Amino acid sequence: MTDEIIRMETLTKIYDTGEIQVEALKGIDLTIHKGEFIAIMGASGSGKSTLMNIIGCLDRPTEGHYYLENIDVKEKSDNELSAVRNKQIGFIFQSFNLISRTSALKNVELPMVYGRIGAEERKERALELLKNVGLEDRAQHMPNELSGGQKQRVAIARALANKPHIILADEPTGNLDSQSSVEIMEIFCRLNREGNTVIIVTHERDIAEFTNRIITFRDGHIIKDEVTKEAGAC
Amino acid sequence: MLVFENILLALTAIKSNKMRSFLTMLGIIIGISSVIAITSIGDSAKGVVGKEFEAYGMNNMYMYLNWEMTQDGIEYSDLIMPEDIEALQTRFPEDIKYIVPYVSAESETKVGRLEGKLSMYGVGTNYAKFKKNITILHGRMINKSDVEGNKDRIVIEKKAALNLFNKENAVGETLGVVINNEMKDLIVVGVFVVPPSLFDTMFMSEAYSTYVPYPILQTGDKSNWAVELYTNEEKDQELLGNEFKSYLSRIKDKDPNFYVIEAAESQMATINNILGTLSIAIGAIAAISLVVGGIGIMNIMLVSVTERTREIGIRKSLGARTKDILMQFLIESVIISAIGGVIGTILGITIASVGMSFAKIDVIVDPKVIILAVGFSAVVGMFFGLYPARKAAKLDPIEALRYE
Repeated sequence: MTDEIIRMETLTKIYDTGEIQVEALKGIDLTIHKGEFIAIMGASGSGKSTLMNIIGCLDRPTEGHYYLENIDVKEKSDNELSAVRNKQIGFIFQSFNLISRTSALKNVELPMVYGRIGAEERKERALELLKNVGLEDRAQHMPNELSGGQKQRVAIARALANKPHIILADEPTGNLDSQSSVEIMEIFCRLNREGNTVIIVTHERDIAEFTNRIITFRDGHIIKDEVTKEAGAC
Repeated sequence: MLVFENILLALTAIKSNKMRSFLTMLGIIIGISSVIAITSIGDSAKGVVGKEFEAYGMNNMYMYLNWEMTQDGIEYSDLIMPEDIEALQTRFPEDIKYIVPYVSAESETKVGRLEGKLSMYGVGTNYAKFKKNITILHGRMINKSDVEGNKDRIVIEKKAALNLFNKENAVGETLGVVINNEMKDLIVVGVFVVPPSLFDTMFMSEAYSTYVPYPILQTGDKSNWAVELYTNEEKDQELLGNEFKSYLSRIKDKDPNFYVIEAAESQMATINNILGTLSIAIGAIAAISLVVGGIGIMNIMLVSVTERTREIGIRKSLGARTKDILMQFLIESVIISAIGGVIGTILGITIASVGMSFAKIDVIVDPKVIILAVGFSAVVGMFFGLYPARKAAKLDPIEALRYE
């Protein structure tokens, strides 16, 4: 298919801790298309975080292939992987991972700094991104001056800075109250409706319900892959 | 390379840990300031020595009997006679610009109720042409007719004029002195000043400095144990001196080392050599503290990398390359030590200036030393920052993100 963005072929990940080898992913075959809104579910230790790391190019598969936009990640150097993380992936973490003592604006600018975008354009775009998540008046605030929901919205703005092709969120609502969680999920919905591919790792069923495809992991295998609604129907 | 961003980042990091950054810099500050202070003091001392010698003229030299060769007593034929001086002048017409017997005397003097001690230095014609720091305020210097006519004339320093005659212009006044057990009345023909000299205050008595025609100080037989010369300054002074003394030994039928030369230039070179070696030696010891400072920087950077492990993970997940992280930490350590270097330079110059102001010496700061010191501190920062920066850059992003 032409619009596939991620394809995994018998992908295996083994952690070699010296004495014992842990097989976190056992031959995964998975294809994700542009514009999908996906939830990856599973208990801890099921391999979903490992999958996230591999999709996000923070880690490489031990065996098998991972094609990101039809290019095998295996063939890329560390620097190229950095560039992929910078340009093609937008990360959102459970614990927000904003850089402390650095304003919301500067946090949002960060991926653009590493993308070698000029200071003026960077600031302009960062302000626009913050406006899109409703935080234009918090641009100069430090992370410790923001609420959990606000922090996560800054993180989303930061993830979108370089117009990534995939938005990757690891338990984005894990540290949030239910109202903030809904607000955050609504932002993801909006992003998906705008055509972005969004992948969320969660263990909460009601969060997964926002998405249109739920993939469930257990012991390094995909045990369930269900399309719940049409893409973009969130 | 993101140099500008990294500099801003480093400054923010330094600012947010003011106390820690300052303590880290302290080693570099102490190291650089002591190196700068010591080299500046050394250079200033060299400058002073240079000025002192310049006042006497770099082409000034003395030739005198080698006392070691005359252990058994001086014979009359050993002494330098007027005809020997003439022979030298005839033999080296181009190279000897001025040659007179080296004679001086001290005498008490009394003008009315005012008393003073005069130090009289025997000079020949044109002495002021060679000893360039003499400024005549009134009257004139000892001239040819004074010297050739063996006249009782004297040129006195301004201080003597003021203290003995209560006026600056003492030309025409008379000073009674005793020379070679003989009373003489010397007529003041000139009043002069010389810039204050370290040597004068170190070696000279409280006597007023004066100049008289050299013949009036000589004893009856006109024999001398030493002569003062000014030479052709374009030639190597040591070589010239050797030529003079070997010629003199030959015409006097003496051992080649019977006379010795003391040239201003070689004396200055010797003193400068000692000063130079001394300041390099002390400077090198001070430089060791720079290494200690560097280790301090490495230590704190390692702490900083550990503290910021998670931040490094975040940056990597956002697309920072290994090199970006390396540069971030390297620039931080370079900036810490360069700031330390700048503060150390200012402190060092201050220390040197304060120290030299007690000795009333203008401090000389070699700009090369400043560039070298700040540059060297940056190199120290780079060298000792490299290991922590590499450690940071090599962190695995997943591990780093998990770090609590």
